[in-house]
Amino acid sequence: MLLSVEGIDAHYGSAQVLHNVTIKVKEGELVCIVGRNGAGKTTLLKSVAGFLHPSRGSILFDNEPMQALKPEKVALRGIKYVWQDKRVFVDLTVRENMELAAYPAKADLDESLERLFSISRKMRTQLNSKAKGLSGGERQILLIGRALVGNPRLLLIDEPTEGLAAKVIDDISRILIEMKGRVSMIVVEQNLAIVSQLADRIYLMKEGNVLEEITERNLILDQDYIESLL
Amino acid sequence: MGAGQVMIKKFSDSGGLNIAVMIIGFTAFAYLASVNKVTDFIIFCIYVLGFDLLYGRMGRISFGHMLYLGAGAYGAAMSAKYLTPDPFLAILMGIACGATVGVLLGPIVVRTKGAAFALINVAFNQIGYFLVLVALARYTGGEDGVSLKFSTYGFLNFGNVHFLFVFCLCSLLLVYYVMQRLKRSAFGALLAGIKENEIRVRFLGYNTLVYKWIAFIMSTSISAFAGTLFTLNYGFTNPSFIDPARNVEVIFAALIGGPGTELGPVVGGTAYMVISNYLARYITRWELFLGLALLIIAFRFRKGVMGSIQDLMAKRAQKT
Repeated sequence: MLLSVEGIDAHYGSAQVLHNVTIKVKEGELVCIVGRNGAGKTTLLKSVAGFLHPSRGSILFDNEPMQALKPEKVALRGIKYVWQDKRVFVDLTVRENMELAAYPAKADLDESLERLFSISRKMRTQLNSKAKGLSGGERQILLIGRALVGNPRLLLIDEPTEGLAAKVIDDISRILIEMKGRVSMIVVEQNLAIVSQLADRIYLMKEGNVLEEITERNLILDQDYIESLL
Repeated sequence: MGAGQVMIKKFSDSGGLNIAVMIIGFTAFAYLASVNKVTDFIIFCIYVLGFDLLYGRMGRISFGHMLYLGAGAYGAAMSAKYLTPDPFLAILMGIACGATVGVLLGPIVVRTKGAAFALINVAFNQIGYFLVLVALARYTGGEDGVSLKFSTYGFLNFGNVHFLFVFCLCSLLLVYYVMQRLKRSAFGALLAGIKENEIRVRFLGYNTLVYKWIAFIMSTSISAFAGTLFTLNYGFTNPSFIDPARNVEVIFAALIGGPGTELGPVVGGTAYMVISNYLARYITRWELFLGLALLIIAFRFRKGVMGSIQDLMAKRAQKT
């Protein structure tokens, strides 16, 4: 098991947001977390990323405990976070955004850029442009490309298609499908059509609890069934 | 684009054009006005460059930067008074003092941001001021300060206004060049990232505390360097070099010039010094006009003179 989150509780101040949450991710697996707003999906990702330390339970990555690690240490272990709000460093160029990710990961910048161009050829022409000029979809692609710098072992991707046009959503889905198997991913997503397309395993969350774990292929493809549980 | 235009663009992009403008501008100004005074302006610009490394580049505004200027001024003065009157050693000692203050205070100061960062700096500034004025008055001369005389080595005479002018101008160009190199480096990108969103930078795997500390030490060292040059220019040091009440000067200058812009600290520093030196001759309460100018900047030109010019040029470039 690559990641094993065992019975964690998490709080924002005095408010408990996660209740005894358990999830697992195998090597190369794409796990989707599904739930309504306020279900605790993003909080779960933040707990794995070291932004929020659980008050109870454990997080094991490669059998190493990491629930007390700071975000920078988590990143150096090979877990990268792709934020929901698509905020890249807007005052930096596309190249500088990639450069910033390459240094701590001790990654080769040219190799990382080539990988970004393989995701989106358009990025090559925008390499020296400030990221503030990129569209929402392009920013998402840059964020994914940046997260892939240094060959991470696990990507945490928060609502990758939220607020994007249909054509761009197709592109993002295609990119995630192409990445499947090469890197493990936890994807928080509300669009059930995309979830059915991507997921190897689904966790349904409601009010800070994991309601159900779905691993059977026919149930993963059954959007009505998933919808009925939310 | 012709070959000549390409050469001009390359020269401009490398910062060469700004350096040429500074050399010509300050030299012409010095001989039209007063060499002594313009030397003072140049030193102040170095101080603003040090301040802007934190404010413009890293997004941390310090309300206590006079402490670091004062550390340099008193470091140089104490070296000249109690060790040897060698001016070069005084400069090194002054910078070392500023860097040491940065090393010691950095781990506390850089953990904060926003109002806490601003106020923790002014708190340390108050402590430094008290030390110089009261606790260490036996050594620092208290309110009277210390008068100094520096050694000369042939033409290397800091008592000669022309030599001092050239030395300070070269110092400004050096600091400016280093800041430009830094801005275009990976470290500069990292500082810009911290300014925009520190949490995200941490998620990339950076221990941002270390990098903020390095930037802080660089800033205190540059400010201290300016402090040593003020001591050399005046031939004395007194508590006005570390007075917390004077912190607004560097903030005003950075705001006028345009925080985080290449030439902003130099433009703002010069503008502030011109206003405070020349407007005061004609208008008793010149600060009123400075306040009005700042109101206009705050409401209309938040990016300062150079930031606004850059925006204008970017808009024109987009149109063409």
